Amino acid sequence: MTVVSDIAVAPRDRLNPARSLHWVLAVALGLACLVNLQVGATDATLSSVLAKLAQGETLSQIERVVLFDIRLPRLVMGVLVGAALAVSGAAMQGLFRNPLADPGIVGVGAGAGLGAILAIVLGALLPVWMIDRAGNHLVPFAAFLGGWGSTILLYRVSTRQGRTSVATMLLAGIALGALAGALSGILVYIADDRQLRDLTFWGLGSLAGASWAKGMSAAPLILLSLGTAMVLGRGLNGLALGEATAAHIGINVQRMKSTAILAVAGATGAAVAVSGGIGFIGIVVPHLLRLASGPDHRTLLLNSALLGATLLILADVIARVVIAPAELPIGIVTAVLGAPVFLWILLRRRGMVEL
Amino acid sequence: MSLIAEDIRVFYGKRAALRGVSLTALPGEVTAIVGPNGSGKSTLLGAITASLPYQGAVSLNGQDVSAMKPWQLAAQRAVLPQASHLAFPFKVIEVVRLGLQSGTAGDRPEVPVQALARVGLAHYADRTFQELSGGEAQRVMLARVLAQVWAPVENGQPRWLLLDEPVSSLDIAHQLQVMDIARGFARAGGGVIAVMHDLNLTALYADRVALLATGKRMAFGRPHEVLTDEILSDAYGCALRVSAPPPAGIPFVLPHAASA
Repeated sequence: MTVVSDIAVAPRDRLNPARSLHWVLAVALGLACLVNLQVGATDATLSSVLAKLAQGETLSQIERVVLFDIRLPRLVMGVLVGAALAVSGAAMQGLFRNPLADPGIVGVGAGAGLGAILAIVLGALLPVWMIDRAGNHLVPFAAFLGGWGSTILLYRVSTRQGRTSVATMLLAGIALGALAGALSGILVYIADDRQLRDLTFWGLGSLAGASWAKGMSAAPLILLSLGTAMVLGRGLNGLALGEATAAHIGINVQRMKSTAILAVAGATGAAVAVSGGIGFIGIVVPHLLRLASGPDHRTLLLNSALLGATLLILADVIARVVIAPAELPIGIVTAVLGAPVFLWILLRRRGMVEL
Repeated sequence: MSLIAEDIRVFYGKRAALRGVSLTALPGEVTAIVGPNGSGKSTLLGAITASLPYQGAVSLNGQDVSAMKPWQLAAQRAVLPQASHLAFPFKVIEVVRLGLQSGTAGDRPEVPVQALARVGLAHYADRTFQELSGGEAQRVMLARVLAQVWAPVENGQPRWLLLDEPVSSLDIAHQLQVMDIARGFARAGGGVIAVMHDLNLTALYADRVALLATGKRMAFGRPHEVLTDEILSDAYGCALRVSAPPPAGIPFVLPHAASA
């Protein structure tokens, strides 16, 4: 027998550093908010306004409008959408046990997109009183309905005898995405020029057009979904071992999965509804955090919310300044920054992607 | 206070994988389930652990398993699966802690370290699980399972280790190590059920053996009662001869005799 020199060294802990990261990221988010309010196409900046207020001067009409009616609601919406996209990405990756899974992949995003395109192209066919009443809520509302409906359909298809097969769900998501894409393609043929421009901008994702009304229409659903996602940490950790083992270590797997699906659908639907298809936040943010502080979902979910919000409002700053006074759709910025990261993950995992 | 499976039937589509198998495992003993490939060994363990739909009844320490909540079951028995995939780059110690989360030793942070030391991998605590070899990964999963039911007896009730081919990817030294751990758990008052491939290890470590073939129980009893020329040759469909070395009298199966 060999002598086992197995004197236990206290293993390095990653949970407490990951918890400290909550505070670091919260501070970063606060700073990013200040930057976001400061930068823009007009001279009305946060610092100039604060200086004026400090000297007891009153704000001009333009300053008030720019800061409180344009930039602030846009900031709030950016924070909510960024957190929603990153958390739904992290939760979905935990659910599918795959770091490349994203709400876009299982058709929730595509379903929401179809709903939005339907509203843009065929919305004019609705009775006038309906259009008047819906106003600019029509597209977001249709997008939310589309995402919600596709989630329910997906669940019906992939769940049998109370058990959801992750593989079936992924494949069904591909089919749903293809179907939604085809229907969207038909609608694009019908669309006129103005509608086509709307479609392009919506499809690329943008925070432009943010208003308090729009933000408030999405906020309750996003906050509810985020709160729900935060209790999933332990369950998703167990699920990393597989469904059977997760059950063996005492997790109510079916209930946990249903909760996760609801949280993901709610967050994604509401985010897509107000901002279109902003991609890659849901993949890049959790991945960076796993590299920084490990894959433990008990801290990953909250950290994702904070970092997702921070990155999205910084991307929004970039979108506003690169071609000022015009602005880029923010989806272009996140895609340019995020797609290479996605490919890098893929490259590193090429040999071991399991589907 | 035992684990009783009664008249278990499992169907894969229309094919019957188990056709009415019963098994009683006692605390303090290692109960081995053996049999040829496709005989239903792992299926039987799957039914006992409620991992797959089955007909029949399973009771654990006198309670009907189907009426118990997942966390109640997790506090009384831990299950080692045949193969383990882990989705994200958890460290070894974090994997073992997943077992602790669900067990009743949750307030004892030293248990995962001790469990890793038990399987001889304490110095691997900070490694990433995906870096491990197949055998090391299997031992880490055993440590996770041990951490879940760290005390073999708690509140006067035995706890259970349910192991599906625990030594399948291990070298001979670690096969013995793992079986020693299983036997130690049983000797300390816990119960162990293990699906086994190796008849000699079974003879060496099992207190009771259930032999399955074609979804039925062919024999159940002490190793020397079950591991006989006639029963094994019949179950495995080839001529096998069982011998015993003089001092201990433990039977061993000599495959060299199969062609004789």
